Amino acid sequence: MPIYNPTIQTLDMSELKRYSGLTKCTEFPQHLLDQACTEAQIISQPKASWQIYDYDADSSTIMSPEPLSLPPTVISKHLANSLKVAVIAVTIGPDLEELVSEYFSKNEYTLGLLLDAAGTTAVELAADQACELIKQDANKQGYTTLFRFSPGYGQWDIRVQPQILTLAHGDEINITATSACMLLPRKSITAVIGLTPTVPNLPHKETIEGSKCDQCQQINCLSRKD
Amino acid sequence: MIYIFDGAMGTMLQNAGLPPGYCPELWNQEQPSVITAIHKSYIDSGSDIIETNTFGANRIKLTHYGLEEKVALLNTAAVQAARAACGPDTKIAGSVGPTGKLTVPLGDLSFDDAYNVFFEQISALDQAGVDMILIETIIDIQEMRAALLAAKAASKKPVICQMSFGADERTVTGTDPVTATIILEAMGADIIGVNCSLGPAQLLPIVEKIAQTTNCPISVQANAGMPSLINKQTVFPMQPEEMGLWAKKLVAAGARYVGGCCGTTPQHIKSIHQAVKHLALSDLPTVQSAKKSTALTSRSKTIYLGADHPTVMIGERINPTGRKQLAADIASGQFISVKKEALSQVRAGAQLLDVNMGVPGIDQAKAMQYAIQELSMLVDVPLVIDTTDVNALEAGLKAYPGRALINSVSAEPERLEFFLPLAKKYGAAILCLPISPAGVPKTAQDRLVVIQEIIHKAFEAGLKPGDFVLDALILTAAADARAGLEALATLKLYRQHFGYPTTMGLSNISFGLPRRDIINATFCAMALDAGLDAPILNPYDPLMQQTLAASALLLGDDPSGRSYSVNYAPISQSEERAAPLTPKNIIEQIHLAIVSGEKEAVVPLVEQALREGHNSIAISEQALTTAMNKVGIAFGNGQCFLPQVLLAAESMRAAFLTIKKELPAHAATSLGTIILATVKGDIHDLGKNIVAALLENNGFTVIDLGKDISPETIVEKALEHKADIVGLCALMTTTMPQIDHTIAALKAAGCSAQTIVGGAVLTQEYANQANADSYAANGVDAVTIAKGFMADKTH
Repeated sequence: MPIYNPTIQTLDMSELKRYSGLTKCTEFPQHLLDQACTEAQIISQPKASWQIYDYDADSSTIMSPEPLSLPPTVISKHLANSLKVAVIAVTIGPDLEELVSEYFSKNEYTLGLLLDAAGTTAVELAADQACELIKQDANKQGYTTLFRFSPGYGQWDIRVQPQILTLAHGDEINITATSACMLLPRKSITAVIGLTPTVPNLPHKETIEGSKCDQCQQINCLSRKD
Repeated sequence: MIYIFDGAMGTMLQNAGLPPGYCPELWNQEQPSVITAIHKSYIDSGSDIIETNTFGANRIKLTHYGLEEKVALLNTAAVQAARAACGPDTKIAGSVGPTGKLTVPLGDLSFDDAYNVFFEQISALDQAGVDMILIETIIDIQEMRAALLAAKAASKKPVICQMSFGADERTVTGTDPVTATIILEAMGADIIGVNCSLGPAQLLPIVEKIAQTTNCPISVQANAGMPSLINKQTVFPMQPEEMGLWAKKLVAAGARYVGGCCGTTPQHIKSIHQAVKHLALSDLPTVQSAKKSTALTSRSKTIYLGADHPTVMIGERINPTGRKQLAADIASGQFISVKKEALSQVRAGAQLLDVNMGVPGIDQAKAMQYAIQELSMLVDVPLVIDTTDVNALEAGLKAYPGRALINSVSAEPERLEFFLPLAKKYGAAILCLPISPAGVPKTAQDRLVVIQEIIHKAFEAGLKPGDFVLDALILTAAADARAGLEALATLKLYRQHFGYPTTMGLSNISFGLPRRDIINATFCAMALDAGLDAPILNPYDPLMQQTLAASALLLGDDPSGRSYSVNYAPISQSEERAAPLTPKNIIEQIHLAIVSGEKEAVVPLVEQALREGHNSIAISEQALTTAMNKVGIAFGNGQCFLPQVLLAAESMRAAFLTIKKELPAHAATSLGTIILATVKGDIHDLGKNIVAALLENNGFTVIDLGKDISPETIVEKALEHKADIVGLCALMTTTMPQIDHTIAALKAAGCSAQTIVGGAVLTQEYANQANADSYAANGVDAVTIAKGFMADKTH
């Protein structure tokens, strides 16, 4: 079970703006965005853990020591051609969300919101880096990786979260799930990444077209990509 | 001469019947004749060098099979099996693969543990009689550094270092081939190369880049193309003949050791042998490595210093001398200020960062190790380790996954004795400071003599011409009238006699004088002309930034002044923003400041309005409330965005507080009391906090109960405070039913408060079925609904 500490050397400002609802905003004080970035970089403690399992696409089952059946929803379709899956957990630790609360309690709402968005950007970046490690390892063995699919996407019931967290060894990086299946620290992600056979002479193609936002039911979300 | 390695071992073992999941290295002991036969097949195909079957024979990997106590035995057996296959001219390379764990700071394996694991394996290989050590398929430069140090300590034999790169020509942990080559050459790798991950086509540009960087021999062992999975078997597509054609190109690019990695067979090696073995080196194109200068690297970036390169700015701000807050931050172990200084300096243009942990009374070695480790994760610029403490120096050098600059090595005996061997061991460059036991030489000529002595000793310690940066030494102009002149003369002499890159701590010159920025910037311009390559300075100083930009243009480092123009060209009329509306009076000014979210500007404006006799109600109603209403409408129309609404709310709050402070009796009255809570089981409170902020700054009394609040508590507080409104928030489908339970509990308790619900997963439909009075899609909606309700209630 690999443990990886991703690096947060730069945060994508356009992503930060998207997560804070500023995508269409043309004028906003840059120093506040910079401050949120700097603080997120300083305070994040990114960590990732994952485990690769065989996957039985016929029964939509992750062949972990205690096999996990997946529901016949988008997740099963997404993994239809997968022979293996990587189950991953990523976090940036609890400090950032504590600082966000501190900003709100000091009535610095804007910075609180921007820092929260920077935290989301950071945990997504950390997950991207961990996925790249999984991808390169998979490519060497003739597999192509699909984009990561998290509980909550595409009607995949969030109540699977504790099981997914167990399969990813999230406890090794201090992620837990609450009784309502929320992750703690809150800036954490779990996901399943399908490993499909690389087909010669075909460009790598992910099974589901479009962005992750297309799989999300929150149509009014401020961060939604058009 | 071109040397031919062998090909894949794993595939051959599988073909020979190695069961899936079985430890390949155990066959060195159990089936040595099979191992020998595989080696023999490669030798018969033309391999000059065969690799032992020990890729995973380290303690960590063998632990997976319960074989951790057999490290020496399996490595020795592997060498014996290889030796049994060898002819008189065949050489054996002891294969050393990765541990399978990432090294600190990217992973949880400490540098020392990694070193010990490699040392154990390489010692066994060395004692069993390999001819060279081959460290291969490494994706983390820090792991390679640990392995190379272990190899140098455990063996006197040549060491080959081969990293694995991705299609983007970087290791998956971010290191490019140029950076890797510079680090490994400086640390004493004998042969530098690349293997695995990619086919020869993808490795060709990587070999070219390595060849342009080093004069070390280069090795390459590509996979047989990019694999696919057929019938659950990994299949490499490249045929032997094609591999041979690529081998020629790899040799032309600079490789002198060529073999194969995953998917290659004796047939591939035979093809490579036939293609390149008899090529005469004289017929091959000469690869020109980069002109020698001093290169420093982080994990992922190389910076060159020297006369042929643009000026490099070294940020001086991570130094606790005379800075109480930074010193306290370091002493406390927080390092928040250290990290802020690092990020801010890089944003201001620093290309190297000086790191000094000289806080009296702390464990400097521990502080330096932590600082270097953390900064290596935070910024991509190379670091300068600034210390007089030899333990701190070694701790920093060990922790750094790059090639650092040591600041500094003087001609004092203890520096020469202890610092130079550390520079050699860890592949660092040294900043040579012309100070001797006799003190600080005053004249340029005397400084030259001291530097000559340092360089002489450094060469004796094994350092090379690309390892030096020379400090011209600046004294204080206020105390010594010739301080500037001597420093400039020293720079000129350095260039004339050595040609190595130069540096100096610029701000020393102005110590004790007013407007130090003017002196520093002026002196910087003069020094750049005299041959200064890398000033150590305060990157935040605007005058210095302007001077450096102008100097780059004047010294030919900024062709056509492009960079200068981008930074300093005046904004044309057409690009200027439309002039803002001119407010007619102070009330309009306040209104505008709120709408624009200018929190700092609004306070003096409110104070002025009060001084001018405007009463608080007029300010509240005509400026503040109308401003927030305007912002709310703009938000609803998609012309204004949530962070802007919050900025306006912060400004509104600042205005209210000012009124309250100046005229306590005139403070605005509350529009109503609202209880807010995120429901039981739900721990997300960002949205609820935003709603609370907006309601509060629109004149409501908000009692925020927080997150994960039970229906019982909400009911109790609603009754206790005679709440007008109860706002409930849920983010997840799993906690949404708590909205229903809470509303039911409120109604059962006879609470007359209106309920407003919201949160990511909630909808108007859900609000209806939960018997909520209202649904708010966002914070601005919540304010509108609450105001509407209170207006109805009042009338």
